[in-house]
Amino acid sequence: MLSLYRIIKFSFQDIVRNIWLTIVTITILLLALFSINTLITVRLISDNAVAAIKEKIDISLYLKPETTEAEIMALRAKIASSAQIKNVFYVSKQSAIDSFRQKYQNDPAILAALKELGRNPLSPSLMIVPQNFEESELVVNNLKMIDSPIIESRDFSDNTVILKKINDITRRVNQVGLFIIFVFILTSLLVVYNAIRVAIYTHRQEIEIMRLVGASNFFIYMPYLFSALIYTLLSVLIVISVFYPFLTLLQPYLETFFTGYNINILSYFVDNFWLIFGAQFLVVLVINIIASLFAVRKYARI
Amino acid sequence: MIHLENVYKSYSNKVKVLHNVSLAVKPGEFISIVGQSGAGKTTLVRLLIGEERTDAGKVAVGDWDITKINRREVPFLRRQIGVIFQDFKLLPKKTLEENVAFALQVSGERPAKIKKIVSSVLKIVGLDDKKKRYPSEVSGGEQQRAAIARALVHQPKILLADEPTGNLDAINANEIIDLLLRINKFGTTVVLVTHNKDIVNRLNKRVVTMEHGQVISDQEHGKYLL
Repeated sequence: MLSLYRIIKFSFQDIVRNIWLTIVTITILLLALFSINTLITVRLISDNAVAAIKEKIDISLYLKPETTEAEIMALRAKIASSAQIKNVFYVSKQSAIDSFRQKYQNDPAILAALKELGRNPLSPSLMIVPQNFEESELVVNNLKMIDSPIIESRDFSDNTVILKKINDITRRVNQVGLFIIFVFILTSLLVVYNAIRVAIYTHRQEIEIMRLVGASNFFIYMPYLFSALIYTLLSVLIVISVFYPFLTLLQPYLETFFTGYNINILSYFVDNFWLIFGAQFLVVLVINIIASLFAVRKYARI
Repeated sequence: MIHLENVYKSYSNKVKVLHNVSLAVKPGEFISIVGQSGAGKTTLVRLLIGEERTDAGKVAVGDWDITKINRREVPFLRRQIGVIFQDFKLLPKKTLEENVAFALQVSGERPAKIKKIVSSVLKIVGLDDKKKRYPSEVSGGEQQRAAIARALVHQPKILLADEPTGNLDAINANEIIDLLLRINKFGTTVVLVTHNKDIVNRLNKRVVTMEHGQVISDQEHGKYLL
């Protein structure tokens, strides 16, 4: 008990009396942690952006203008019954022309042409949302096979190309993203490992003196391991206290940028607090302890 | 108190540091080991504190056969041998008092006992009024006196002094030697490793001279020969 008290006392004494070394070490840990958290944020934003783009790609089935609502609802029900379909929205002729006018409200030439025509040239349609975006091609193939006299057009060739491209891009972004995250985390951990080794290198004379006055290995190692715990705890606490205000500032910009989409980075970090910061604490602590053990061992050899 | 029998030590096959060294030091003796740089004096000290191992031969300090000592026993050996060095080896971020107390803290002594012993040894070396200062705030002589105080806290039977005056001026060097003589009068065996001719000649005590890793002379009231 007395030894434990002394180890904690020596550790705190060392942290305070070598305050610049402490500040530098914690700053390096902070930068590494901040980089990792920024990477997590970027990854979340990119995932949300891809999801938003995917939502924009709709698969539409254009129907003959003279089709009755009852026939359309029957077809809609038939399509919606498939397990691969998440939702089927009915867009009436009127809704289609309203959206069209809204879309081209600043283009007087188009609006004038529409007026000249004197009637609604647009067809009613069914907008189909697949359950899983990766199965879009299968959904398109199934839609092609539906035999119904009310279907006017089922040319999905443009959509199929776009869907394929988006799926390819998403896959590549995932692969590259994972590689970057791996490299980044590895680099950060190496930086942390070296920061601790440098911190202990500056204590090599003290370790030598501890040996010479008869300190046991327990007494030599423990203050440094305890300091590693304090460094980790302080850096994780600081990163939490800096990162949450940063996310609070970022959130309104993201909401503006992704208008109409549910993107909330802040709530993601709040919901996964222990997973994100608990894991970071444990990983950095383990690296710090390993670095401390190796570094102290180098100078504590009898 | 100290027995070396046919001790051999080399750092590689080519560099032979100690060659068939035999030496016996009686309890309460004051012995100076002299020799030029590279003679093997410091290696001898390192063997005595368990920092180095012999290639052959036997080294015994008190009841400890150091050639057979377990690594876990080394800290206990070091608590029984006081050692001082040329560069003082004080912890720079601890005050003189904390430096002296540290040697007792690592051996698990109670705070009340530490306070009593530290106060007593600091008075012996004349540093009671400077105990709250850091090593950088006192002179070299005072730093060496603090190192001696630290070496004395376990009331060692042997005090090894490896070039203790090497970094000091003549006045401070003489003060340190006087302090070592006083400690020797209390019954502590003192082994002084030095190449300071004036000090050795002034002492008029036993002198062991080493050259090329061998003992070439051992005089009861000797002088510096080299």
